[in-house]
Amino acid sequence: MKRKAVHKIKSASAAKPTKASGKRTSAKTPAKAAAKRPSANPKHDALDAVIAASAQALGLTLDPSWQDNIQFNLQLVLRHAALVDEFPLPDDAEPAPVFHA
Amino acid sequence: MLDTPDAPPGTAAEIAAAISSGRTSAQAVVEATLTRIRERDPILNSFTAVTDDRARRRAQAIDDARARGAPLGPLAGVPFAVKNLFDVAGLPTLAGSKINRDDPPKTRDAALIERLEAAGAVLVGALNMGEYAYDFTGENIHDGPSHNPHDIERMSGGSSGGSGTAVGGALVPLALGSDTNGSIRVPASLCGTFGLKPTYGRLSRARTFPFVASLDHLGPFARTARDLAVSYDAMQGFDPDDAACVDRPIEAVTPRLERGADGLRVAVAAGYFKCRSAEACYAIDRIAAALGANRDVEIPQAERARSAAFIITATEGASLHLHRLRTRAEDFDPATRDRLIAGAMAPAALVDKAQKFRRWYRDEVLKLFKDVDAILAPATPITAPLIGQKTFMFGDVELPVRANLGLYTQPISFIGLPVVAVPVVLDPLPIAVQIITAPWREDVGLRIAHALEAKGVVAAMAPPA
Repeated sequence: MKRKAVHKIKSASAAKPTKASGKRTSAKTPAKAAAKRPSANPKHDALDAVIAASAQALGLTLDPSWQDNIQFNLQLVLRHAALVDEFPLPDDAEPAPVFHA
Repeated sequence: MLDTPDAPPGTAAEIAAAISSGRTSAQAVVEATLTRIRERDPILNSFTAVTDDRARRRAQAIDDARARGAPLGPLAGVPFAVKNLFDVAGLPTLAGSKINRDDPPKTRDAALIERLEAAGAVLVGALNMGEYAYDFTGENIHDGPSHNPHDIERMSGGSSGGSGTAVGGALVPLALGSDTNGSIRVPASLCGTFGLKPTYGRLSRARTFPFVASLDHLGPFARTARDLAVSYDAMQGFDPDDAACVDRPIEAVTPRLERGADGLRVAVAAGYFKCRSAEACYAIDRIAAALGANRDVEIPQAERARSAAFIITATEGASLHLHRLRTRAEDFDPATRDRLIAGAMAPAALVDKAQKFRRWYRDEVLKLFKDVDAILAPATPITAPLIGQKTFMFGDVELPVRANLGLYTQPISFIGLPVVAVPVVLDPLPIAVQIITAPWREDVGLRIAHALEAKGVVAAMAPPA
């Protein structure tokens, strides 16, 4: 099959990104985050405690090797939740899902 | 040429017309398709099961019906395949997982397979996907990645990766996928196909494996806008077996395609949706120019909407899989498992807040459609990344690939708006634009897509020979 005539675009974004000079706001991998973690960080300790207590309440058995990834993802969920939580809504705001009786 | 494995498969409309007129047979078309899959899919890895015996029986039945003079459907003899979260009689429904392989084979097809086959289409197999649809990459730890048909070193996009690959690679003219946060639109963009995510509640999800009940949609991939419309029309209709399916009359789009885009008010989404790569900007500019779309609209609080979609996805997904996380956590892809476990631990009050925000956001976005008929936005921030690539540059910010390929799609599916993804052919890789319309106005998006295609502005990219 022959390709149709196409438009050539000089692309930087589809290639592997080079080591960025730009901001690295949310690109930390769990491994990197763990490597940078101070030995006694109260926030991380608090989150570890939340994960341990939640796992017990939910009946989940966690392998210790999963901890960093779970913590990374829980932090991500909480960061997104904070963005939603700070938005003011009236007391009579209804949640979206509709139950049809 | 429709029955020759070395040639492109033709469009669904061409195939149905050729079979209905007797220029070829359903059996010849299906054999050519099965040969094409057998020869090319070992490289593309889009199929996880090929239902060849079933397809041959079905094709024979169509040819027999024609010989008897019985009426044939609008998709007579058109081969299609489905993401492997659709139930297929005789197969377990994998949903991209290892765990579901232990399930018994299903005894009945998904509702949309039944409807496409009632219109004459022929199922030829089930397609690769990201595990439990929690994915934008098309990678799968159990089945291997579905490869981009234009560069096999690159991602197909996900989670309907096999659907994008199979249609983008011209193995089949039509495939079905699911879209919770962008899983039709992302692979359509990276693989250069047309894709339709209909309004939430429009098409039945009965007998498919769910992910996020309040966000899950099903829809088609095709190589033309007309094929999207024909298949979409065949799949419409109320189904009491899907709790979210809305009881509306069938609103056939195919007869309205030729009305074109003249007179439609089209705007470009600004702010959060601003393109930040040369490819996405080129695609938006080209389509906007072709449609005379010279005004911008701001979709309010889109970033927050994406965050709310993220929370609802993580928590509803966790709820769905909680028992599997308790009993078979080791059998998940770790990337899926750890996100689901984190989602299970999110405070319920914040989830409820996300659902309240969702209604507020919906009401605000719907106001925009008083002044516009359609809104254009990029489908993906970039063209296909390399398989295994972890980050990409979004403007001057480096972002993780897995979570962010759908950053433009999530705020739209969050409130169930219909979207047609239209592909722009670029060298070396295609990229798509979302045509977003008001609820239940799939017709407007498909008319615009068809008009753009007629002008040569958008097209499914031919795979390399």
